[in-house]
Amino acid sequence: MRDRPLSYLLLVPAFLIVLATTLYPLAYSFVIAFREWDLTKQNRPGTFVGLDNFTYAFTEPGFLNSLWVTTIFVVTSVVLTLFIAMSLALLLRRTGRMHTFTRIILILPFAMSPALIGVSYRFMFNPEFGVIAKGLGAIFPALQGVPWLASPDLSMAILVLTDVWHWSPYMTFMCLGGLASVPRETEEAARIDGASGFRIFFGIVLPQMKGVLMVVAVLKTIFALKMFDQVVTLTGGGPGNSTETLAYFIFNVGFKWYDMGYASALAWILTGIMMLISIWYVRMLLSERKVATA
Amino acid sequence: MKRIFLWWGERALLLLVSCIVLFPILWMFLTAFKRPRDAYSISLHFKPTLSNFVTVFSDPWNLGEMVVNSVTVAATTVLIAVPCAALAAYSFSRFRVRGRKFLFFLILSTQFIPAVVIILPFFLMFRTLGLLDTRIALIVVNLAIVTPFVIWMLKGFIDAIPTDSEEAALIDGASRFRVIRDIVLPMAAPGVLTATIFCFILTWNEFLFALILTRRNAVTLPVGLVSFRTEQGDLWNLMSAAGVMITVPIFIMALLIQKHFTRGMTAGAVK
Repeated sequence: MRDRPLSYLLLVPAFLIVLATTLYPLAYSFVIAFREWDLTKQNRPGTFVGLDNFTYAFTEPGFLNSLWVTTIFVVTSVVLTLFIAMSLALLLRRTGRMHTFTRIILILPFAMSPALIGVSYRFMFNPEFGVIAKGLGAIFPALQGVPWLASPDLSMAILVLTDVWHWSPYMTFMCLGGLASVPRETEEAARIDGASGFRIFFGIVLPQMKGVLMVVAVLKTIFALKMFDQVVTLTGGGPGNSTETLAYFIFNVGFKWYDMGYASALAWILTGIMMLISIWYVRMLLSERKVATA
Repeated sequence: MKRIFLWWGERALLLLVSCIVLFPILWMFLTAFKRPRDAYSISLHFKPTLSNFVTVFSDPWNLGEMVVNSVTVAATTVLIAVPCAALAAYSFSRFRVRGRKFLFFLILSTQFIPAVVIILPFFLMFRTLGLLDTRIALIVVNLAIVTPFVIWMLKGFIDAIPTDSEEAALIDGASRFRVIRDIVLPMAAPGVLTATIFCFILTWNEFLFALILTRRNAVTLPVGLVSFRTEQGDLWNLMSAAGVMITVPIFIMALLIQKHFTRGMTAGAVK
């Protein structure tokens, strides 16, 4: 086992990076989460306040609002992305020139800066000169002059739209990867036996895609929970606080109110939510494996 | 008859999807070449101009400085992260020693930590160290995001390389380092290139860290976009010109490695 020391040695540089850039800051923020610290008044962490920062969150309207906003955003964007990605993957599964072209086009939104996506959609939904706002108004007269980003529900809808536009392509590629592992023979056999496309999809393809779809759903959930850039550049959390997601709210608490203790506690609540989702997901996958091998 | 209908239907749908994806990007590109007056209309009849690009590179916007910042931060991050991650990925892929499973899990799980959690302590630390508004600060925080991601991607690529020639070389007395340098790296080259470009894109487009950690000196391109929101309103033609500057290099990279790109996107995740 001459290689044993080497196998660890190779890990050292990367592990040092992770330690210094993630684990240490995490530990630091954990410590701050239990302290009172107003950065405008003092330069060092203040007194230990126990769980106060955490319990305060659940009585404070700003946090409760952001939790609600986040839930709406995550659920709608995950469901829509999953549906669109799966449909697109089925559409792109076959080969052809048009299929290849579309696949290449689909790389673009993922490579685009999310902050820029937010800016562009803000521009296009401007009721006075936005091309989408104007276009929709021309096609549907009822939509003329609708103040898209000034209405709480509509601005949330646009926020979801930008997120779906950004992530559906990536998730489509993941679904395509999953589809590639579904054997075509079973499908062909079912087709020869006269099964409809509908039945083949729900009876054969979908069950085998379950694992992949779950990965896609969880990844998308985590990305949606983290989503921040477009809130800043598209809606700024508004109108009012109707699009103030948890990530954006934490940013406000930390860098507008300078309440470091509370912001750290909130950040840990968000991490907790993500951890719960990941654990639940790993357990689901494990039980799935057991069924598969049994 | 039904066949032909389906054939055309499928192509029409694909065309529609392409249009939905392309339209916002094309609109931004068009706007970047419009004079201010034309930018505020949706007309397609306009005389294209390059003046927006001249304006954004001159005072007070100085996009040139931001380009330098963005390039420096992204390139340095990649240069540190990719080699370190490649060594770790090789180790995770080839050796089966106790405790490493835990380490791999630990490194991967950092991907689930929201950026807002680590930015608070980093802001405080950089404030104490006097590193706010420097490129160094941005490079450090970007390493946090990028390193685990590259390890994950590269492990997938190295796993797919057969070990035969490596073993043969080892038996012939070659050292592990030589094996990595002369056999594994050349075979993993497409993977390394893909990971590098992915990593570059992530850093280039990064917004949250740059928004919080920079004010004037180390502002990167995505944060620069926000400065086109002035008291006179949003300067869309200039914003679009800046948007084009952000997008073009990334699109070129993405399209160059297009084949590997789709593989990289799904690497590790679909298993």
